[in-house]
Amino acid sequence: MGGESHQMYESPPAPLAIETRGLTRLFDGKPAVAGIDLRVPAGAFYGFLGPNGAGKSTTMKMLTGLLRPSSGASRVLGVDLARDGLSVKGRIGVVPDGLALFERLSGGEMLRIQGQLYGLDRKVAAGRAEELLAAMELSAEGGKLVQDYSHGMKKKLALACALIHGPELLFLDEPFEGIDAVAVSGIRRMLQDLVVRRSLTIFLTSHVLEVVERLVTHVGIIHHGQLIAQGSLAEVRATGSLEETFIRLVSEERPVGPGLSWLGSRADAE
Amino acid sequence: MTGELRALAELRGRLLWRRFTARGGIAEGVATVVLLLIAVPVGLGFAVAIGMGAYQAVKSAGGLRSDVGASAIFFGIWQTWTAVSLTLNDRDGLDLRRFLLFPVRPGRVYAMGLATGIVGDPVALVWGAMLAGVFVGAAVARPGAWLAILAVVLLAFAMATVVLVALVQEVLSAVLSTRRSREWAMIASVGVSMAILALLAWSGERPVRAAADALPYLRILQWAAWPAAFSAGAARALFAGRSAESLPWVVGLCGTTLAAGWLSFRIALALAQGSGATGEGGAAAPSRVGSGWRGGAWGALLEKEARYLFRQPLARVDLLLAPVIMVFVALQLEPRIPVEAGEVVRALPLFGAALYAHLLLQAFWLNGFGWERGGARAFFLSPVDLGAVLRAKAAVLYGFSLFLFLLSAAVMLLLGKGTPPRWAFAAAVVLHAGTAPWLYAAGNMVSILRPKAASFAIQRSSALSTLSGLIGMGIVSAVTMLFALPALLATRVDSPTVLLAGWSVLGLAGALGLRFAIPRQARLLAERRDEFLPVVCGDEAA
Repeated sequence: MGGESHQMYESPPAPLAIETRGLTRLFDGKPAVAGIDLRVPAGAFYGFLGPNGAGKSTTMKMLTGLLRPSSGASRVLGVDLARDGLSVKGRIGVVPDGLALFERLSGGEMLRIQGQLYGLDRKVAAGRAEELLAAMELSAEGGKLVQDYSHGMKKKLALACALIHGPELLFLDEPFEGIDAVAVSGIRRMLQDLVVRRSLTIFLTSHVLEVVERLVTHVGIIHHGQLIAQGSLAEVRATGSLEETFIRLVSEERPVGPGLSWLGSRADAE
Repeated sequence: MTGELRALAELRGRLLWRRFTARGGIAEGVATVVLLLIAVPVGLGFAVAIGMGAYQAVKSAGGLRSDVGASAIFFGIWQTWTAVSLTLNDRDGLDLRRFLLFPVRPGRVYAMGLATGIVGDPVALVWGAMLAGVFVGAAVARPGAWLAILAVVLLAFAMATVVLVALVQEVLSAVLSTRRSREWAMIASVGVSMAILALLAWSGERPVRAAADALPYLRILQWAAWPAAFSAGAARALFAGRSAESLPWVVGLCGTTLAAGWLSFRIALALAQGSGATGEGGAAAPSRVGSGWRGGAWGALLEKEARYLFRQPLARVDLLLAPVIMVFVALQLEPRIPVEAGEVVRALPLFGAALYAHLLLQAFWLNGFGWERGGARAFFLSPVDLGAVLRAKAAVLYGFSLFLFLLSAAVMLLLGKGTPPRWAFAAAVVLHAGTAPWLYAAGNMVSILRPKAASFAIQRSSALSTLSGLIGMGIVSAVTMLFALPALLATRVDSPTVLLAGWSVLGLAGALGLRFAIPRQARLLAERRDEFLPVVCGDEAA
């Protein structure tokens, strides 16, 4: 299916926000990502899906400069990452796996300093920080150290940090993990607005397929480090739902054996 | 041993084994062996000396010699043991919070953590050797059944000391569990230190005598050191041959140990059960974005580093430690240097203060990224030159170190005999500035090649790996020797000009070296990010 999707993109030469060729990362000689060719159109809301350990976060780390590829090339916003990574960094926003927050700064300080690190004037950064804190419903907690935030609050702050410099491309690694339903709904609306009205490109990984299906315009599915499907949402899911397609593509036939028979028999254990 | 205790013991053993078999573990193992090679002979040396002391105390069988001997042995060992444990040991072996989910009694887990605290600490070998020295010395002096009681006293003393250290740590954790309480405690500590300094300064030229006059009123404080006080009481009776008289002391020692252990456990349990997902909690604070520092990204880097450093418990402790140590130097060491030793030699305490300001902060220049955690990713994600990050770290650390040095110098000036000549101050400032680039250039390499995810604690062992600590000792020794060369020459010719010129040249060379090194170190950091980030961010045990 991956091969088919490549052909699909060859006919209409749309500008690409992300393009990789044979992107590979080996850990102890074993491939975590095995030569993938990603093509993310500019302005797309791209959902990058895969089971645990498939290579999603490793791919995202390579695309954002947190991890060196073992081989292959990648262009982000038209710039070769290996040649001019620094100029790309100023144009992208990232919420990585494990977040990138200085926990001994207050939420407000973290946001403003992040803005300044991305080249914003300190007053502009302070103004945007206030606005983002309000948008994330964190204004009341802005003076609190990040270490005192709950996991969901940290996620929201990390998203605010990724947005403060007005990036053209946003990388989000599991943005909905550990966030309550109300916050998920708010963030989802904000992300949709960013894509539709501000022409932002979003590259998102998530396990929550139901949410992804409602958000994304394009999908890539990675399994065992290989890109097994890529294209628009309609092309990839074909006739079924995204969840059905995903399960069909990544599930492996596993016979249900007689194991675990002891489960539910507490008396035997005692 | 029950099944769950066996599992806990195996867990502890495997964690220890993994430390040495993980990436870089062999180097850590070698460093630990080197430390043990230093610690064991030192411990044996002290053990022999203490054994001889115990021998003489038993032989005198009562009287002043026996009483003083018993007190000196137990208070001496207790004081060093407690001080070293509180400074070095962060008791990260068995965290009660992790075990609350398991069907294991928390009390058992805690008791095991305390018991293994004795054998799990390499420095404990020194204390063990000393206590063995006491036993052997006493046994040689007067063999007999009374030695069984002495053995119980020694074992109980060891356990009591471990329990007291744990109690102090738990109380500190409980009292300083919120940022506000930590800040108040810090202010109170500064206030007490300043009050002591003021009292000493007020007492004029006889501060030591004034302190000695106050001693009888301070005797009650010995009960704060109850492991030593009870053990010394028991030992005094035993050394004098009055075994029966020692029993109330032994019962008291065991009783207080059990009570302190129980109290310590209850506090630890309350802390473990009280901590939620939001960390230390705290009331919601209004948004304080602030206007920030001038200077764009560079100003932001400086601001971040400064805020981080001043929010470090370790840095705040250093802020207290530097002047307090200088009080002792000014009152005890400085007056003992004879006038005829020459101007250069008389200025040595001031030069020592300049170097000590760097030494106090060595955890920060040897593990510069150790406290960043996930924030370290921000350096690699943002469009900031990593060289600027290294420069900002060095600039802020140097500013703090300079402040510590000036604070120390002010204390020496306030309490010391006579004012050192102006050139000595100038030379000390040059020494402080000149050694910094050498230390920071070498420290950057250790920070990049041997990072460790450090905890925000006052214990230094949590800030550096054993190997980094050893390398740090090497770096400090080498730089000190380098800067000692002009000092030796200046002492020989008694010429301050030689000293100033020599240190200025070395300092300039160091500054040029650091300027040359930082871009290369930044490239090394970028190249090593795959190994560096998982360790610093805490994704992988260091």
